Amino acid sequence: MTLRTRVTLLVAAALLLGPRALFACPMCFDPRAENRVAFATTAAVMTLLPLGMVGALALWLRRRARTLKEQGEDPNPDPPPTT
Amino acid sequence: MLLFIFTEIMLFAGFISAHTIARAGAQAWPPPGQPRLPFRETLFNTAALLASGAILAVAQISHRKRPADSKGPFAVALVLGLLFVAAQGREWVALIGEGLTLTSSNYGGFFYLIVGAHALHALGALIALAWALGRLRRHNLGRNQFAAVATFWYFVVLVWPVIYWRVYL
Repeated sequence: MTLRTRVTLLVAAALLLGPRALFACPMCFDPRAENRVAFATTAAVMTLLPLGMVGALALWLRRRARTLKEQGEDPNPDPPPTT
Repeated sequence: MLLFIFTEIMLFAGFISAHTIARAGAQAWPPPGQPRLPFRETLFNTAALLASGAILAVAQISHRKRPADSKGPFAVALVLGLLFVAAQGREWVALIGEGLTLTSSNYGGFFYLIVGAHALHALGALIALAWALGRLRRHNLGRNQFAAVATFWYFVVLVWPVIYWRVYL
């Protein structure tokens, strides 16, 4: 095993085992279930909410473009000539 | 307007998330010595606000067919919104008198932060509604203008039940 491989394995082990051993995250390893649930719930909400809003906006824009196309209007009209 | 509302939704989501975590980590909520929030009385304020949103929606539908017919419901929606803000202000005065202040505890800090932020948004939206009503009376309010102002009010109305559920109950 080369020195580079050993160092890589050592760093990977430290990254995987270190936080657990040090209880680095005060929420993930909190003894109270209420705290862990609150953290997990709020993290999920804060992650999914912006994704949901952006996704809904993208969906609406897509439907709007489709509707305009069906009506014969160009959803991406060219800007008027400047000269 | 929609992009602005998206950012404000995230603002309130952040506030409520922080409140949820602080509440979960507290030994007692509300903390000892702090008054309980008047959730029964606030239910009437909530009903007024929700009615305001519904009546504004009726005004918006009416505006598409006959703009002149939307003045009445628009004014009623504005008055109900003002009643909500006035009632909340009265509630704040009572709570301050009972010892719940911005610095009395985490409980007080979060309450005034979240409800105060909502009140600021409500005041801004009411100013916009008053402006729109003025233009409506002069027969000078376009559909897009109405929609923009109404959308902001709907946001203020719909975020309140979430705040009521998480903060008051």
